[in-house]
Amino acid sequence: MERREALRLLATGTALQLAPRNLLAVLREARKLLDSQPAPRTLNAHQDATVRTIAELILPRTQTPGATDVGVSEFIDLMLTEWYDERDRSRFLKGLANVDIRTQALSGKNFIESLPGQQAEILTALGEEMIENRGRKPDQSFAGNESQSAANFYAMLRQLTLNAYYTSEAGATQELHFEVIPDAHDECAPLPTAKGNPESE
Amino acid sequence: MNEPTTYDAIVVGSGMTGGWAAKELTEKGLKTLVLEAGRPIVPEEDYVEHVPPWEMKFRGLGNRRGQLEDQPIQSTCYACDEWSSKFFISDKQHPYTTAPGKPFRWIRGRQVGGRSITWGRQSYRWSDLDFEANLREGIAIDWPIRYSDIAPWYDYVEDFVGISGEALGLPQLPDSKFLPPMELNCAEKVVRGALAEHFPGERVLTIGRVAILTRDHRGRAACHYCGPCERGCITRSYFNSVNATLPAAEKTGRMTLRPYSVVHSVTFDARTRRATGVRIIDARTRASVEFRAKVVFLCASALESVRILFNSATPEFSTGLANSSGELGHNLMDHVKAGGADGTIPGNDDRIQLGRRPNGIYVPRFRNVKTRQPEFLRGYGFQGEGFREGWERGIAETGFGPEFKKVISRPGPWRFSFYGFGECLPNHDNFVELDRQTVDAWGIPSLKIHCSWSNNELALRKDMSIAGAEMLAAAGARNIRPFADDEPPGFSIHEMGTARMGRDPKTSVLNSYNQAHDVKNLFITDGGAMVSSSCVNPSLTYMALTARACDYAVQQLKKGDL
Repeated sequence: MERREALRLLATGTALQLAPRNLLAVLREARKLLDSQPAPRTLNAHQDATVRTIAELILPRTQTPGATDVGVSEFIDLMLTEWYDERDRSRFLKGLANVDIRTQALSGKNFIESLPGQQAEILTALGEEMIENRGRKPDQSFAGNESQSAANFYAMLRQLTLNAYYTSEAGATQELHFEVIPDAHDECAPLPTAKGNPESE
Repeated sequence: MNEPTTYDAIVVGSGMTGGWAAKELTEKGLKTLVLEAGRPIVPEEDYVEHVPPWEMKFRGLGNRRGQLEDQPIQSTCYACDEWSSKFFISDKQHPYTTAPGKPFRWIRGRQVGGRSITWGRQSYRWSDLDFEANLREGIAIDWPIRYSDIAPWYDYVEDFVGISGEALGLPQLPDSKFLPPMELNCAEKVVRGALAEHFPGERVLTIGRVAILTRDHRGRAACHYCGPCERGCITRSYFNSVNATLPAAEKTGRMTLRPYSVVHSVTFDARTRRATGVRIIDARTRASVEFRAKVVFLCASALESVRILFNSATPEFSTGLANSSGELGHNLMDHVKAGGADGTIPGNDDRIQLGRRPNGIYVPRFRNVKTRQPEFLRGYGFQGEGFREGWERGIAETGFGPEFKKVISRPGPWRFSFYGFGECLPNHDNFVELDRQTVDAWGIPSLKIHCSWSNNELALRKDMSIAGAEMLAAAGARNIRPFADDEPPGFSIHEMGTARMGRDPKTSVLNSYNQAHDVKNLFITDGGAMVSSSCVNPSLTYMALTARACDYAVQQLKKGDL
């Protein structure tokens, strides 16, 4: 089993539904992977797993790589460690903890141990609250402002997840067909349909 | 160091105008020393336009903490990003102060090439509507030149620079000698059609006129549409001094380019009433060095050139060299912006842009051109662009999962934005002075800036939002959002006017050839020379004025009149 595959299965919670023998293999791979990767600096193992799980739910692996494949969680850990100030970092971590509190109320388990349906339910609720909490202007700034409560954690997480994904090599080249030096330029070109767009095949 | 210290000419600054002075003076036979305060630029190492986001540590979001510490002001400029922040100064090393309640953003680049590396590349000619405005309205002083004086020099610099654009034959925005225009995209064509239909003979949307090559030109390659010009250009497709003028000067064998040379002051001989050269501080060794020349060109930017002259005060010129008029440092202008509108342009869902065109659209000034606007003097032009929304729209949405990923990876609706750039009136009360308490990293006194918008600029900004929204409505746009944001001067990075030209030495610093009235062998050819601001981007005019001043200076030198 590929290490990335192991990590993805863990991140999506799919691993928990595997036969015990396979689960062991996954965990073994995961441990090896953890040994070989630099440990997250701000997120602890549980927080890291929660971030991975949510990010992969937002942008899952399809015919193209998903959030875990491109290292979204690693990027978020970097941002929390080196980019955000203490206030924003704390806002993020509080919001992340709150995800488990909500899931506990719903299923009696932490988010990463919940069933995919329950996880989806939580994300839907977080999304609805994000809309309710939004001011007149959508929050387009990475750095939060004082008026933003922990409830806006989800907006922050989405921003980080989408940014990390679409600026990754796989996200940019496979999903957006980004070319550093464009093959051609045409201001009113037909939108490619099947070509270069695996999802619509 | 066994370094020669005597030259025919000294040019202070190696950016937009310094590069031109270097080229013109050396090509006309002068042994020229070009002094640059910052470091050398090696395009093969320093240009980063082809580095993709995934190779940047923060994926293009920049080193926020580092910038808050070292570049809190510079990083408010869009171009001072994770790639290009190295082309902007350290605010810590280059402090300045402002008057209470009057913020001013001073955005600077100190390296060979100066701000020409990161400039916006928009290039427009002035017209007599601009040159005659002060006289017509009784504001400040009259320009000592008219369009006919500068037109041949526009031709001359455009032939070298390479400006792409569309000829329109408008009296208020004369055509340049154009290379083929870049194309408009689908949304822009919709808006162009709407303006032609609803505002015939008044408003027209055209592609931006830019110093970017649309075909190979004078040894430089046509643009390949990679997008981020402000990071450099290894194919030299857009104009900056590193790409074009400095190599031309180098080719003559008569240029000595000296980086790390922070000019402290111009030296002056009271007996001959001539500048004798300049005194610099070597940025690395901190040694003070003097260079001598027959003629000195200040091309350090409107504010830096004035700062040098303040620091060059003599017993005779106690408020600053060449300041018998008292106008040095006054009449500071910048274009007023932050007004406009955006919206969604329905249709063309099956069309996209391929490549990243490094240029937008332009709507030439239409206020106070044929009719008189009661609320304000002068006018503004609109820049802007049409574009399809990208993945960023997915942040504010609530979706997730495979279907969300599929939809958000595809282009969103066509959006269109208008951003106005308005003329700023010259005002004696907008000025800079030396702040002796605040010194830079080399111990040189810095500037205190006193500058704020007048009611005329604020009225222009408000009108930008109304006219922008009105044009979008005419184009059938949805979700139209007019905006007129509070933004201090400085953000257009078009500071000018601090050493204005004029016919009368009592009210102006320079004559019609950018020559100091008080010191005949001293020329200032950066934005300082401007008597009014027009509403168009100024660099093309600075370049033309510089080439014209060099021609004059060399003639005078040959006649023995300097």
